[in-house]
Amino acid sequence: MISFNQVTKRYPGGHEALSNVSLAIEQGELVFLTGHSGAGKSTLLKLIAAIERPTSGVVSVSGQNVSRLSRRAVPYLRRNIGLVFQDHKLLFDRSVIDNVVLPLDIAGFDRRESLKRARAVIDKVGLLNREKANPVSLSGGEQQRLCIARALVSRPALLLADEPTGNLDAGYAADIMAMFRDFHQVGTTLVIATHDERAITALGGRTLHLDHGRIGEVPA
Amino acid sequence: MIGWMRHHKHALGTALHRLRIQAFTALLTALAMGVAISLPSGLYLGLENLSRVAGELPAQPEISLFLDAGASPEQKQAIATRLKQPDIAQARFVPKDEALATLSASQDLADITAGLTENPLPDAWIVRPQATSRDALVRISDGLRKMPGIAETHLDSQWAERLQAALAIGHTGVWLLAGLFAIALIAISGNAIRAQVLARRDEILVSRLIGATDRHIRRPFLYLGALQGLFGGLAAGGVLAVAGTILREPVEHLAVLYGSTFHLLPPDGAEIAMVLGLTTLFGWLGAWLSVTRSLHQVEATR
Ligand SMILES: Nc1ncnc2c1ncn2[C@@H]1O[C@H](COP(=O)(O)OP(=O)(O)OP(=O)(O)O)[C@@H](O)[C@H]1O
Ligand SMILES: [Mg+2]
Repeated sequence: MISFNQVTKRYPGGHEALSNVSLAIEQGELVFLTGHSGAGKSTLLKLIAAIERPTSGVVSVSGQNVSRLSRRAVPYLRRNIGLVFQDHKLLFDRSVIDNVVLPLDIAGFDRRESLKRARAVIDKVGLLNREKANPVSLSGGEQQRLCIARALVSRPALLLADEPTGNLDAGYAADIMAMFRDFHQVGTTLVIATHDERAITALGGRTLHLDHGRIGEVPA
Repeated sequence: MIGWMRHHKHALGTALHRLRIQAFTALLTALAMGVAISLPSGLYLGLENLSRVAGELPAQPEISLFLDAGASPEQKQAIATRLKQPDIAQARFVPKDEALATLSASQDLADITAGLTENPLPDAWIVRPQATSRDALVRISDGLRKMPGIAETHLDSQWAERLQAALAIGHTGVWLLAGLFAIALIAISGNAIRAQVLARRDEILVSRLIGATDRHIRRPFLYLGALQGLFGGLAAGGVLAVAGTILREPVEHLAVLYGSTFHLLPPDGAEIAMVLGLTTLFGWLGAWLSVTRSLHQVEATR
């Protein structure tokens, strides 16, 4: 489903975040991405969603060459990808539920149907009693769960999660990981950047390790 | 099709919501647009009314014939016979006593006429020729002047021609002004929308990250621009209505002084619809220009 072929990403300013990375992720796989801070985990996820473009090499998703995707085609790629951002990227001018409903509005879903779906995911991440609240009033962990709810609401075939449990206590982290496992079981492909060793051992799956922009596989 | 409708309904809803939460700014923008639009439309209305005045006045030019004080009855008879010929549509004799009576009736001149010991006015004919072209009029007028017993002729068409020429310039001016103010409207709308785009930077960036197309992002701003234009047009209507109310009395008073029952007429439905349609269009156009530019700007500073 996802393949990197000799991908190098150099940011303007010259820093090489990824060096000659090649990898393949099959449909329905659950893959963890580990590595020290600054290793290039976020960069790798951004390349998959065409948020960044590789300096050289080819990134392809579902057979599409993402590195060459036109500006008009990018939105349709992203609609099939659920994104959990490291910095959440929530909108503070609207309520929790309006944040979650946003991807469905963009895709043009019926409003009533959207709200029903949004409420169901918000319930799953344990924020149902805060649905009318403004995200500013949420704790860091709650904001993270809100971001996860927004990524899941459109039931994407591919979920890219950047440190999804970084701010969560062990209990919530386990709940979220359990949700991810459920999604994995119904066939969703997941790529999760994390430091959470416990989650990795609990869920199993493959682990890719990044070290200063170079990739290596960690034997299970 | 249903999806398309839903997108537009959603965009319109979003635009109305943004207008509501920024009601004060929206009001100021609408007022700025309204004042700008009211200038050419006000001028247009003024000219329309003025044209109506011009239309009520005798459309056909007249020739005034003033008789020699010493004209003999035979000469007078010859002139009357001449004026019965088919090239003359209408001729009215104004004896000098009637002319003096008319003068005395007007207040300001009553004192002057009262001091006169004898009537200094000549007998006159007001002649309306069949022809209306300037050349034909001049020919008839010259012909009449050569008749014995006629002291002077006065061709009374110049003022009408001048008025028509002035109105024509006025109409050109209206279109020129309208063009300039259409540009102003685009600029006002573009500026307002640019501020909106920059204020919604985060929303735009996040929306793009989760799969919004350019069109999806642009649409609410276009609706916003169109709505602002529409409200600008309505504001112009308000400005003109106030101006009309203020002007109505003095204008009608002036009309009465001229012995006319002239009333200021408001614009008709088609004219109102056209102005509102155009302001909506130009509001939309300004939004389109601005949103296309500012979106690139927003993404460049990501
Ligand atoms: N937009 C950018 N411009 C320049 N350099 C960047 C940019 N984004 C990331 N980098 C650099 O690229 C390297 C990899 O960054 P990246 O965010 O991928 O690391 P990471 O593995 O996600 O780290 P963390 O665990 O701290 O999130 C870092 O050295 C970072 O400074
Ligand atoms: Mg990161």
